[in-house]
Amino acid sequence: MQYRKKHSILCMSVLILGSLGFGSIWEVALKDDITLLTPKKIYSAGEKVTLDFTGIPSENAVLLINSSYGQTVVTSENENFEIPDFITQKKGNIHYTLITETQKIVEGDMYIKANPDTTIQLESYVGPPSIIAGKRDFTMHVVVPTDHYDNPLVDSTSVTLKHQFLDNEKENVVLSKDMIAWENIFSYEASGRLLIFSQIENVSSKEFSVDVFSDLPVDFKIESKRKHSYADGNQIVEFETSILKDQYDNIISDGTLVQFIIKDSKQSFLRTQGSTIKGKAIGKILHPDHEESWKVEAFVSGIAKSNTLEINFKPVLEDFTVQYSGNNREITVGPLLSFMDQLIPDGTRITLALKHNDKEETLVKTTSHGKAKFVLRPEFYPSKKYEIEVKALGIKKILKEVKLK
Amino acid sequence: MTKWNKNIYRTLIIGSFVGLVILIVFGISQTLSYLNTGADRSSMLRVVIDKTPVYVPKIIWEDTINPGRPIEKQTQLDIQKDYLNAWYVKQVAFQTHNTKGIEDYYTASARKNIERLLDANAKEDIRIESTTINHHLFLDFYSADGQLVVLSDKNVKEYQRIYKQDQFLIETQHESDYQVMLLLEDGYWRVRHMVKEKSHPRQDTIKVKPMMFAAGKKIFVDQNEYQIKGINYYPQKTPWDMFGDGFDLDIIAKDFDIIKGEGLNTIRIFIQYEDFGKAFVKAEKLLKLKQVLDTAETKGIKVIITLFDFYGDYSVLDWTLTHRHAEQITSAFKNHKAILAWDIKNEPNLDFKNRGKQNVMAWLQEMAIQIKKYDPNHLVTIGWSDIESVSLLQDHLDIVSFHYYQDIDDFSELYKNISDQIDKPMVLQEFGLSSNRGFWSPFGASQKKQAEYHHSFQSLIKNQNIHYLSWTLYDFENVPSSVSGKFPWRKHKQKHFGFIDHKGNTKEAFEYISN
Repeated sequence: MQYRKKHSILCMSVLILGSLGFGSIWEVALKDDITLLTPKKIYSAGEKVTLDFTGIPSENAVLLINSSYGQTVVTSENENFEIPDFITQKKGNIHYTLITETQKIVEGDMYIKANPDTTIQLESYVGPPSIIAGKRDFTMHVVVPTDHYDNPLVDSTSVTLKHQFLDNEKENVVLSKDMIAWENIFSYEASGRLLIFSQIENVSSKEFSVDVFSDLPVDFKIESKRKHSYADGNQIVEFETSILKDQYDNIISDGTLVQFIIKDSKQSFLRTQGSTIKGKAIGKILHPDHEESWKVEAFVSGIAKSNTLEINFKPVLEDFTVQYSGNNREITVGPLLSFMDQLIPDGTRITLALKHNDKEETLVKTTSHGKAKFVLRPEFYPSKKYEIEVKALGIKKILKEVKLK
Repeated sequence: MTKWNKNIYRTLIIGSFVGLVILIVFGISQTLSYLNTGADRSSMLRVVIDKTPVYVPKIIWEDTINPGRPIEKQTQLDIQKDYLNAWYVKQVAFQTHNTKGIEDYYTASARKNIERLLDANAKEDIRIESTTINHHLFLDFYSADGQLVVLSDKNVKEYQRIYKQDQFLIETQHESDYQVMLLLEDGYWRVRHMVKEKSHPRQDTIKVKPMMFAAGKKIFVDQNEYQIKGINYYPQKTPWDMFGDGFDLDIIAKDFDIIKGEGLNTIRIFIQYEDFGKAFVKAEKLLKLKQVLDTAETKGIKVIITLFDFYGDYSVLDWTLTHRHAEQITSAFKNHKAILAWDIKNEPNLDFKNRGKQNVMAWLQEMAIQIKKYDPNHLVTIGWSDIESVSLLQDHLDIVSFHYYQDIDDFSELYKNISDQIDKPMVLQEFGLSSNRGFWSPFGASQKKQAEYHHSFQSLIKNQNIHYLSWTLYDFENVPSSVSGKFPWRKHKQKHFGFIDHKGNTKEAFEYISN
């Protein structure tokens, strides 16, 4: 009877083994009389695993365990080897070798699979964190569904990947492969913020957000604003762009730098710049101090440009007086009167050039109360005849043969 | 007289004063220089970490096509480096129970799994010496933002040796398939998940029709039976340093003429592990070796090359370095017609005592497989130091080799007995007698005795039709201490084994250099 029982257990275990048909399982029994009484080959993570042998010839037999993260050695109690939980909780193949006195006796394999009945975690990776509108750029959403013991769930687990953008709420059911379920989310035409998360049955992941920035700006317009059109060298002219937008009408990101390039009547360039706020950039520059005609164009370097704007500045005065006193050594320029006969603002630049033969010296003063006074001291300027040229606000006056005494 | 004494005292006092000052100054300077060491500013940056590779298993990228994103060459190299380091730090941890480096190559959650295993092993005092021999990588996924990869690592050949309370338990080898997920964190690719998918018995299937093979007790070269009649060879001026600065191909070619002229057909030469560049074999050394082999081929001489001369570390963690050494040399010459056999190591059984028989045997066995893998064309052997050891590892070798320096009278019987138990060709790879009678050895053999010895050995060899290589062509003037020890009488003995003396004259034994 005893014999038959044992026999039938053996037969059963052979049958079960055969029916399992798990490709990777192989078992080598190097001694015939040792039997593994535990036929189960596949366990769920966290399940208790005990390997139960009979007929081990030595009491010192130990079981070498080879698992995903490393190896350990297990000792037995009455030929029962209880596999420690840090092994049975981790997914993967376990190769065991029964050893007595440095001899392999039996070796075999079992497999711990991830346990989807425990609390599932959805480990998510989203990147890049910001993309560009316009259906070309995309962000990638990768989800690693794991069980309570941090094992990636078996391939072909279905994961619902969801995202929201403005009025769109979309979901996509993806089967996991190579540990992960993933999709690429392409940007829409509008800019804004994309919210992303995933679900398995009732378990939801955290929310992740990806910023969708506008695409590159398209060409735009500029206009100028100024207090008056006189070249007084004192007021400020402002250039203002239209609202910079991409091809889908999204306002471009704040801080985009706009360069304003000004070409004057002498073909030289002036430059100012501004960065956008809510799509608008403003560049400022001082009025010229003489009659001038400017051509202004704005650029987002290498990307977009504006129309060309032409603005003219009228001179503020047509003439001014120059008075000589104190042996012609004190020269008073002014009073300079502006376009409505008001005194010109303080600080207007006046230059006086003294010429004698080929020698020349230029003195610079700024006005106060509409006037500027040059004192030519005899220590520096000996008594001779000089040619004197006075320049103010684009007006030039030349006085030849002024004799300094 | 008193004046003399006075002068002596004066000199003594002044001398001791000067001496004292020198001592004090020396002491202060030593202290200062000691205090200045270790504060090298460049050490603040991570860039100066010594990057000598210590772990170089064979790694092959089988496939990098993946649905995520094409991988850049540089990233691929970074991943490979960090992934191998992850294996290495884990192996060190399981061997020493020290978790140094684990946190660099495993993420916090993955680290936990290793630490739990390590704690359990430390508690039971279980130590595992392990290494992997090759990796076949498939890139399953690389994410768009370049921060996540999933790899499959198939047929990872693993070798492990397990100790419990310093008692050796068992050594195992198998092949496994892994799937690994790595994340880029702080500039390191760290293992996040690691799953062993499969384990299968190891398969080493190499079936090529080799140029040389052994069948029964016979050696065949190009389908013809080959009888080894040979000699161990070093150039006279550069013993144990054949490929060093003194390398001279003309001298070697002349020596080959002498050898061929005396009816010999084989030589045995040596390659020193460090001299050839360890894991990164120097191209210039390979070139010299090629010149020697080409010369041997033109002169019609076959060569047995002994590898790993002066190598002594057989530890499991050192395996992959030696595998790369062997790979580079053997694969470079796998089709060379002058090579007869690769002799893995000279007299490794002498290292059993110091290095542990287990260490040495496991290393040799794996090395035999490695060499066969990279060069299936030539024979593989090991030069055991005595005839009793020839049965060791014979299943892994094509021919078995032994050295014989015992009493010549016992040879016939010993050879016959052991030869009956071995079914592979046996090669008497070294034998000889030093004619070292002189100051250091008044009772040593004379040249005449040496000649008699070779005379009778050659007749024994002829009777039993033995493959032989005698030791050695030349008497040497200088023998390095690493060969025979520091003592002059030992060195002296090693200098006089030759058939040709220091001056280039043939000794009496020269007549019996072959049969």
